[in-house]
Amino acid sequence: MLDSMMNGMMNGISTTLIPINILMVLFGCFMGSLIGMLPGLGPITAVALMIPVTYGLDPATGMVLLSGVYYGAIFGGSTSSILINAPGEAATVATALDGYPLARQGYPGKALAIAAYSSFSGGTIAVVMMMFFAPMLASVATSFQSADYFALMILGLTAVSAFAGRGGVLKALLMVVLGLMLATVGTDQTSGIQRFTFGSLELLDGIEFLLLAMATFALTEALMIILKRDESSDSLKPKMIGFKSLKVTKEEFKFIAPTIARSSILGFFIGVLPGAGATLGSFMSYGMERNLAPPEEQKKFGKGSLRGLAAPETGNNAASSGSFVPLLCLGIPGSGTTAVMLGALIAYGIEPGPRMFIDSPEVFWGVIMSMYLGNVFLLVLNLPLIPYFARLLAIPRNLMVPMILFFSLMGVYLVTFNDFDIMMMVFICVAAMGLRLMNMPMAPLLLGFILGGLMEDNLRRALLIYDDSIAFMWQRPLTLGINLATIIILLLPLLRAFFARRKKAVSVTQG
Amino acid sequence: MAREKVGALVMLLFSLAYGYQATQIPLSFLSQQEFFTPRTMPYALAVTGFVLSFLILVLPTVDEQGKTSLAEETQGMDWKPAIQLVGLMLFYGLVMKWLGFVIASIIFLLIGFRILGERRIKRMLLAAIPLVLVLWVVMSMLLGVYIAPGEIFHMLGII
Repeated sequence: MLDSMMNGMMNGISTTLIPINILMVLFGCFMGSLIGMLPGLGPITAVALMIPVTYGLDPATGMVLLSGVYYGAIFGGSTSSILINAPGEAATVATALDGYPLARQGYPGKALAIAAYSSFSGGTIAVVMMMFFAPMLASVATSFQSADYFALMILGLTAVSAFAGRGGVLKALLMVVLGLMLATVGTDQTSGIQRFTFGSLELLDGIEFLLLAMATFALTEALMIILKRDESSDSLKPKMIGFKSLKVTKEEFKFIAPTIARSSILGFFIGVLPGAGATLGSFMSYGMERNLAPPEEQKKFGKGSLRGLAAPETGNNAASSGSFVPLLCLGIPGSGTTAVMLGALIAYGIEPGPRMFIDSPEVFWGVIMSMYLGNVFLLVLNLPLIPYFARLLAIPRNLMVPMILFFSLMGVYLVTFNDFDIMMMVFICVAAMGLRLMNMPMAPLLLGFILGGLMEDNLRRALLIYDDSIAFMWQRPLTLGINLATIIILLLPLLRAFFARRKKAVSVTQG
Repeated sequence: MAREKVGALVMLLFSLAYGYQATQIPLSFLSQQEFFTPRTMPYALAVTGFVLSFLILVLPTVDEQGKTSLAEETQGMDWKPAIQLVGLMLFYGLVMKWLGFVIASIIFLLIGFRILGERRIKRMLLAAIPLVLVLWVVMSMLLGVYIAPGEIFHMLGII
């Protein structure tokens, strides 16, 4: 086991240290930071926008680039949270709680530096943990059969919904189902029969995943900026924010070090859970730190606490690294962004899942080892560049939004060279905007869409093996265990509501 | 009506339409003998979609954000430029084949900037033209991707 891990690590190091890959990590971190910094644009959009660039590259290089974009975007999102209180995406909302007040108090440089050091530490600690846990999980998962895969996919899709928050479970499940429905469009791979193509030749191959990702995230988010008159980016005057010092004192480091250690571990394990992702990682780390803080420090939370800033920043980066574990080991994405990356893997012709550990070790280990390098690049190169990056926030939206729309449309067109795809993107974008206005989440839709085809194939195979009996759902202990986990996850919101009502009833009786 | 319920109603109707369309999927003779046919998954999804939408419709709305009505949510939104941009994207898709990537993209960006209120011609041109040309050079010259010129160039006899 240790031998194969060492071999894998060496393989990963040699993959990462190829000049083109080093360049791609750097480029990915840089582009991720730039895109993630733009208010309204999160890592899903950043990764989707960069996928067309990776199509001409080797799969390992492509994944290394996309990973860099992912954690670069999380880092970039923190910058806009701290400087203008406009989180690029949900995972950096908690960063703004203490980061923005700190910047307002005249310490934007310090806030950004603490965010950068925390991100670096969280990311690095999580990668070390990932290096040990991922191969273990992958080697166990090589014994998985179709029935287990099917059960795992159900578990992944259910978990995404279970973490959707109060009142959001049914909506998230509904969006997963919509994603699965969209995945059935096109020619059925087994029978060759056309489904929902309405006689259109363009739909024979189904809906392109990149098209769906761009339409539901990049285009929709850009149009939402216009619809909601989001002028946060127009209000920033970067020159007025003094970056006097990015220096953090020794005492401050000592003060936040335990927070970073705790949040890294918590963040990593939250990230590993399918569906939880960086958002939950950052909020739970923030919550844990506030609960653990002494009363004096607790009062500072929300007013510029250093621990309040370090915790979510560490948590979200550790969770984003952790979310690679289910992606690389099981082929089940842990978050919306890793779902897009799973789509990219499929497009490269790599079969995601535990076999990837054996069949494409350069991708598996290359991604893990490149994360070390990415975290170093983020700290060493991006931190000093922050004052210059921040000027990007001053690009007025009347120039920025058409450019985002252009890059999104072009990203798909230059891959397919099909005018019909542009039309379809616009159609899906309008539908997605409607759904967003009706408070329906989009990330579960993407997850459902990407897993749809794989799920149907595994279900079909499992039924074939078990003579058309659904007994495959409980005959193997492993499958049964996964299904029980799904049931527990589904029951969680109900149990939570039950206990909340009971607590309320008890307090009323006592009152 | 809470906007969440409107969404559920739309999805309920969509699930019904999807389920109906699933009945229209042709089955080959061999497929008809099988337990799992190309219709099986769509049927299951239509039923699940219907049940989930129905549950959202009948159960009380818990999510505070979902409780607002669609009218309240969309009040004060800047619809005009958003609709114009959607129209512009459709126009971009329509003229791409005829004008080619470079000209269609420059026109798209210039009109887009103008829709959003930019009036300084020099700024618009400086933002649009270099961006498109650099992309075209990178794609076609450096990466070797063939980007077909517009039909109009053939029609005018330029190419």
